[in-house]
Amino acid sequence: MSALIGAQLRERRRAVLTWGLPIGLWSAFIVAIFPSVESALSKAVQSYPTALKEAFGVGNLSTVEQYLNAEMFSLIVPLAVGYLAVRSVASGLSGAAESGRLDVILSAPVSRVAIVRAGFCAAAAEVAAVLVIALALTMLGSAVSGAGLSFSSALAGFASVWPLALISAALGIIVTGFSLRTSTVTGLVVGLLVGMYVLDLAGRLDTSLDWIRYGSVFRYYGGAIEKGIDPVSFFGVVVAAIALAAAGGVLFDRRDLAA
Amino acid sequence: MAVIETERLTKYYGEHRGVEDVTIDVREGEVFGLLGPNGAGKTTVIRTLLDFLHPTRGSARVFGLDSRRESVAIRARLGNLPGDFGYGKLATGREALSLLARLRGVADLGHAESLARRFRADLDRPLGQLSRGNRQKIGLILAAFHRPELLILDEPTSGLDPLMQEEFLSLVQEERDRGGAVLLSSHELDEVERVCERVAIIRAGGLVAVESVPDLLGKAPRRVSVVFSGSAALPDLKRLPGVSDVSVDGRRVSFRLTGEVDPVLKELASHPVADLEVARPTLEEIFLTYYEGASA
Repeated sequence: MSALIGAQLRERRRAVLTWGLPIGLWSAFIVAIFPSVESALSKAVQSYPTALKEAFGVGNLSTVEQYLNAEMFSLIVPLAVGYLAVRSVASGLSGAAESGRLDVILSAPVSRVAIVRAGFCAAAAEVAAVLVIALALTMLGSAVSGAGLSFSSALAGFASVWPLALISAALGIIVTGFSLRTSTVTGLVVGLLVGMYVLDLAGRLDTSLDWIRYGSVFRYYGGAIEKGIDPVSFFGVVVAAIALAAAGGVLFDRRDLAA
Repeated sequence: MAVIETERLTKYYGEHRGVEDVTIDVREGEVFGLLGPNGAGKTTVIRTLLDFLHPTRGSARVFGLDSRRESVAIRARLGNLPGDFGYGKLATGREALSLLARLRGVADLGHAESLARRFRADLDRPLGQLSRGNRQKIGLILAAFHRPELLILDEPTSGLDPLMQEEFLSLVQEERDRGGAVLLSSHELDEVERVCERVAIIRAGGLVAVESVPDLLGKAPRRVSVVFSGSAALPDLKRLPGVSDVSVDGRRVSFRLTGEVDPVLKELASHPVADLEVARPTLEEIFLTYYEGASA
């Protein structure tokens, strides 16, 4: 399986940089400008409606961690990394089927389940590499600007996105059990992610609808940069992603791979 | 022992028939052709053998192993060149070869290198920069580098220039001489005739016939045209067995010939012949032969 993971990572090596650099540079920019906008921000936030502040986790923007959380971790990073994860897993399955690579690999003594496992692991590694690059650039931005971002907080913030990405990759595998078109796989999973985000947001805005947040993975995400990682949520989502990926592997094994 | 055995192999894509009731066997050391027009179902048979498609009914066994349940063990012993070989645009042939060698546990890539030299294949250029023919060469190397017991080639010579087609077909013959079996799908009768011992004719998802190549060609009519020289009387070819549709135009006699060639040649040899032309049967003519036979 390591051969398959290595091959997929080599194939996707450019994606690590093309995603890691923009996310990291934008995050570094956000951190770097914090000292100069800090006082203006506090005044602006005070004028926001309370429900809105709670929904988007922007109750207070007096620290660089709170500012980074509101600007990057509430929406941009999880959706971007979720999209990256599904693209990664799709490239090893539906994309490989479209290019003919899957036929070549499956001519060797390797099971479809092994290919799914490798695709999932490669997606997990790719996302981790992107998050590491983004973390490094963010810390660089903090060091240069003197924003004082805590490394452990930033690490928790970036690490907390990883389980979300795994869910996205696992959903991609499930959809691949029904469609080998990369555009369909990517579109459906991104749609699901956005849907879950909206579901979670609705539950936060209206407390009487809080129960609907259980249908969203975003219920188990958020605020790690300020509060640290909740191990139950973190590992719970990781386990759920592995279970979904395993179910997707069964679907993929049962389907026809038409020419 | 049969290397490949299918028993009433049937695959439907929803309501659409891929193949139905295909029963064939491929023996050790045999080059077996799957002959049929594009869309006939040849690729469906191959993909079912490889477990890319799951049969709707019937069964397929390769090396005596079930194609569905023991697919990984089967694929360890075969090489496959897909019909439209592709591997993405960025990877090079060498990267693909390296991955497959690892998956197959092959450390010695000497045979791959010698195949690359023989086919003048560039293993170090990204596949997206290669022509279809040059990609096809890489595909063949990936299929054959580990000297498999069974080589499955789906329309292998499409996109290759005539010289490379020759080289390709000689490799198939070498595989057979080495004792390996080859399953070759093609819509080119010439190609199948050159290298195959037996052939299964598939059309519109149905198995029309399984024949040895000499029997196949013997049953199909050839169109023969003879120009006689001198002023001697023209021979009466109508009385010869297998001759039909005789037409005379001056000193040129044209006719259809089915079956034995020898009596006709002996008759022609007793007359001064200025020119002789024998047109090979087309694939459609061969199909018609079988359909006419079936409806008689």
